[in-house]
Amino acid sequence: MSSDKNGSPLPASFSCMRCGISVSTNTPSSRIRNHCPNCLTSRHTTTREPRTTDGRCGARMQPISIAVLRGGDWALIQRCTGCSELADDHVEPDDNQLLLIRLAVRPLAQPPFPLEHLGALWAAG
Amino acid sequence: MPRRNNERPGRRQPHGRTQRQKRMPGRNRDEYGKSFRCLHCRLDVSKSAPGTAHRNHCPNCLSSKHVDRSCPGDRASTCHARMEPISIAVRGDGEWVIIHRCVGCGDLGSNRAAGDDNALALTRLAVTAIRHLGSPLRIQLAIPPE
Repeated sequence: MSSDKNGSPLPASFSCMRCGISVSTNTPSSRIRNHCPNCLTSRHTTTREPRTTDGRCGARMQPISIAVLRGGDWALIQRCTGCSELADDHVEPDDNQLLLIRLAVRPLAQPPFPLEHLGALWAAG
Repeated sequence: MPRRNNERPGRRQPHGRTQRQKRMPGRNRDEYGKSFRCLHCRLDVSKSAPGTAHRNHCPNCLSSKHVDRSCPGDRASTCHARMEPISIAVRGDGEWVIIHRCVGCGDLGSNRAAGDDNALALTRLAVTAIRHLGSPLRIQLAIPPE
């Protein structure tokens, strides 16, 4: 059985903090799953600055954006709702593709400046 | 009669929040000067500019420096390496936030996009995820493979 950094064995399954479904920690990519494949939420377990006695925040982490790793794979950026710490996580093949693409296009859906002017710049340059 | 100067940092602002003091004694003087030089593109960036109150990244290449550890302005990090922009997140009010990753220690940070940031660099960062679509998403969205 695999274990975490502290040496305690990881459970074979966990239930999501947000949507409540029970998911296995095994993934098709043979990495340990640590976010819910349905709503992409996870629990904040590893923290750089311990705030509680056992060094765990325990609050819900919600997905905020998609980053691209050097190899071209997607990484999920999550922010803790309790302590506002950021964390990144590999995107698994069985994650909710609709939510992933929604996160990826969200900046383009709400641009702070008109994007059509960039097209004019591109055509001129 | 002279008016009271309510604009001093550390004093309660009209919107209710208190501005945190940024200046700390006994530190490197050029770190708190009028300008800084970008670690990536070596551009000299003035700290006072329209469109932002706290300049914390280069407006040209959006790179930053790892100086804050847990909360903005604490200057508690000892890493001081370059932080490269990796993605754009959107806040609830529609504001863009640049996610930085430290190239030295791998820590993540977030900074608000400023008004004078390079719009082309910001848009390029925002479409990075769409450019690297995985194969399951390509099949679902009926996009032909590259």
